[in-house]
Amino acid sequence: MSEYLLEMRGIVKEFSGVRALNGIDLKVRPGECVGLCGENGAGKSTLMKVLSAVYPHGTWEGEIRWEGQPLQARSIRETEAAGIVIIHQELMLVPQLSVAENIFLGHEITLPGGRMNYAAMYQRADELVRELKMPEMNVALPVLNYGGGHQQLIEIAKAINKRAKLLILDEPSSSLSASEIAVLLDIIRDLKQKGVACVYISHKLDEVAAVCDTISVIRDGRHIATQPMTTLDVDHIVSLMVGREIDALYPPREHDVGEVVFEARNITCFDVNRPERKKVDDISFSVRRGEIVGIAGLVGAGRTELVSALFGAYPGKHSGEVWLNGQQIDVSTPLKAIRAGLCMVPEDRKQHGIVPDLGVGQNITLSVLDQFSRRGKVDQEAELQTVHGEIARLRLKTASPFLPITGLSGGNQQKAVLAKMLQPKPRVLILDEPTRGVDVGAKYEIYKLIIDLAAEGVAVIMVSSELPEVLGISDRVLVVGEGRLRGDFINQGLTQETVLAAAINVNAIPSNQPAAPEEAVA
Amino acid sequence: MNSSTHTVALDAPKSTNPPASGPNTARLKQLFSQYKMLALLIAIALIWAFFAWKTQGGFLSPRNFSNLLRQMSITGMLACGMVFVIISGEIDLSVGSLLGLLGGVAAVLDVIYKVPLPLNIAIVLGLGVLIGLFNGYWTAYLRVPSFIVGLGGMLAFRGILLGVTGGLTIAPVSEGLVWFGQGYLSTLVGDGLALAMFALLVFITWRQRQNRTKYGLPLAPLWRDAAKVIAYGVGIVAFVKVLNAYDGIPVPVLILLVLLGVFTYIANQTVFGRRIYAVGSNMEATRLSGVNVQGVKLAIFGLMGLMCALAGLVNTARMAAGSPSAGNMGELDAIAACFIGGTSMRGGSGTVLGALIGALVMASLDNGMSMLDVDTYWQMIVKGSILVLAVWVDVVSRSGRR
Repeated sequence: MSEYLLEMRGIVKEFSGVRALNGIDLKVRPGECVGLCGENGAGKSTLMKVLSAVYPHGTWEGEIRWEGQPLQARSIRETEAAGIVIIHQELMLVPQLSVAENIFLGHEITLPGGRMNYAAMYQRADELVRELKMPEMNVALPVLNYGGGHQQLIEIAKAINKRAKLLILDEPSSSLSASEIAVLLDIIRDLKQKGVACVYISHKLDEVAAVCDTISVIRDGRHIATQPMTTLDVDHIVSLMVGREIDALYPPREHDVGEVVFEARNITCFDVNRPERKKVDDISFSVRRGEIVGIAGLVGAGRTELVSALFGAYPGKHSGEVWLNGQQIDVSTPLKAIRAGLCMVPEDRKQHGIVPDLGVGQNITLSVLDQFSRRGKVDQEAELQTVHGEIARLRLKTASPFLPITGLSGGNQQKAVLAKMLQPKPRVLILDEPTRGVDVGAKYEIYKLIIDLAAEGVAVIMVSSELPEVLGISDRVLVVGEGRLRGDFINQGLTQETVLAAAINVNAIPSNQPAAPEEAVA
Repeated sequence: MNSSTHTVALDAPKSTNPPASGPNTARLKQLFSQYKMLALLIAIALIWAFFAWKTQGGFLSPRNFSNLLRQMSITGMLACGMVFVIISGEIDLSVGSLLGLLGGVAAVLDVIYKVPLPLNIAIVLGLGVLIGLFNGYWTAYLRVPSFIVGLGGMLAFRGILLGVTGGLTIAPVSEGLVWFGQGYLSTLVGDGLALAMFALLVFITWRQRQNRTKYGLPLAPLWRDAAKVIAYGVGIVAFVKVLNAYDGIPVPVLILLVLLGVFTYIANQTVFGRRIYAVGSNMEATRLSGVNVQGVKLAIFGLMGLMCALAGLVNTARMAAGSPSAGNMGELDAIAACFIGGTSMRGGSGTVLGALIGALVMASLDNGMSMLDVDTYWQMIVKGSILVLAVWVDVVSRSGRR
């Protein structure tokens, strides 16, 4: 029997030619907690999907050894049978079912005839919740009666019930309060004592430092370092995570920033499902004419909620004011926002960007169809002329404007969505993850377009999880963390470490520009 | 016909180099729908051939052809409205009952209150729009699923109809109203209409060519457009000739043809039409593009109500009476017609022409089996099976494409 419970060697995973994982090693001893660190998009989730056979054996290269034996699992069922259980960021519980029913979902204890053996399940579930130090929990009540912290522990109970030897926790604390996190970390330490190993994925490095024995850092799909936590500190981990230089991936930019045109005042958004929780907590900022403001922060920090609220697209309760050119504007619906001169390219291209049954051209003109209307009739020739112009301007690669948009590559779909939101000639353009799922070449073209727009005087607000991109083209960087504005930096000599530190809030670095946003740019 | 579609890359600016055979071939989506249409036409041809063989040609006589078209006209009118409702991602189960109610109102106004015909028609059409908007308001603004709103309406409208008529058949309605259901155009008017339609076709084609030249867009070769116009012309002439060989073009069929034109125009040419497809395909993305999606849905239901009113009027006229059971199960025929005609179940795609051909399939089955004296229970079994089969073929061909 080998020293390691799990050994992953040289894992390579490609998505249509793009290497998401490029030869990654990961080793876990029994009873050890390994912290897996890396920026958004570094490949952490992909690696865990390889491990748990979401991507079955054969769709990736490399070797996985489990308890010294090669593991060639073809489905999650097989990895779970082996003892590898993954707990996803979004919990996979059925809220209407009881705690016990959730714990036994798919592995019910039954009586003859397929009847549920509630007595046995309640008893076992009760043991489990006691083991997890939640003796007050009533396992017969629906899960929805319990908060996020408890639900996380119910997931763990479910995993233990499956006799997990390795628990993978993907951002387990993203929706937990500080006290709930403390309980969670205690439980993990407890499980380690009992010999259960753990892979802990979190952006919150203080948690990682508190609970993990070993840290593995990956970056851009490559394994960077694996070191015992005793030899590391949080700052060191941050520099390992970032560790790359910005080169000519970004077009040069030279433009003047004008007066303040856009102001967001006291934006607050409440969680759609838990109205007592704030996703965005009283954020105010301003943007100048021709300025590109990058909004950085961790996944789940509230950036998307913030910009959706500015555009009238936030589904939950929210408050705040939006000012344009010194006048408050009504942004209660996207239609009103667009009419006022504010456009947004949403984060989720498939759900909120493209209209799959319309052609490329029809997608582009959707936002301004009225302009081509003559007594209700679409002037299709004029429309087509505009479409051809946009296709050329954005170098959108499509065989014909009449082709279904779903046939385009991600980058070209994104260009079409961008073109659509540029049609109303916005004075303020909000871009939420404008280059997600876009290949490198198209990325450059999108950056170029953003910079050109700024040069024309458009105020650009860009939310991005890719720090190099934020630093590459922004004039100013706002950092959002846990729904609050954590920093407002001028992008001069700004480093990823500074931004990441502010996002993670390691030691609450203040802004290099302490003044109000109005004075942020010289 | 579309061999060049995939080879043209539009990567260079202003590269409008068109497929050699003309811009229309590049409309891949349109092509798919055309293939679908072709499959439907083949299905119709098979059904007709089968019944013609079984009835020794009786099925294809001008008289029966005229009958068949009149039979499908009511379902066709409902299908015109329904196809928009389904494309927008909704459903309306109340249309059969609403048809009955509005037809009943027309009969009551005509028979009991002797309301003059034009006023009667105006009242019924207006009422139809109002009730349609009412349904739409519940669906779009109060966010009750349209299935439930329709189910509720199906019961409630039928109930109101029973109350209004007292459960009795209201007859006899006036001559003028009956003309809308049973009248025929004289052969002279029919010929004139055919000529006018052909002239319109030529004019539209010519205008389109002019516009494309004006904007510097690629033009199809002249002979192609000419051939197309002539082919359509032959179709128009044949259609009118056959109907004139019996009693002339039936008025309900004329109404249906006008609706086909108007609704196809709405779907393909207007801002509203484009938005119907956008809303059904991805409502959230459409909303984020600055479209008032609730308004679009409201208007679609208003239009559906208008079609119910029209179908109700024609139905009452056809039977020369307002019946408390009029339009029973009409919603199912209309919905089936849309689905047979290739309307997507999840919304976002479908055509008016397809829905009407779907209605023609249903009517052909009804008519042919009645001629063959097939028992009613068998007719229901066959129609049900055809519906499921047609949608299955659609699903299979769809999934094969992706």
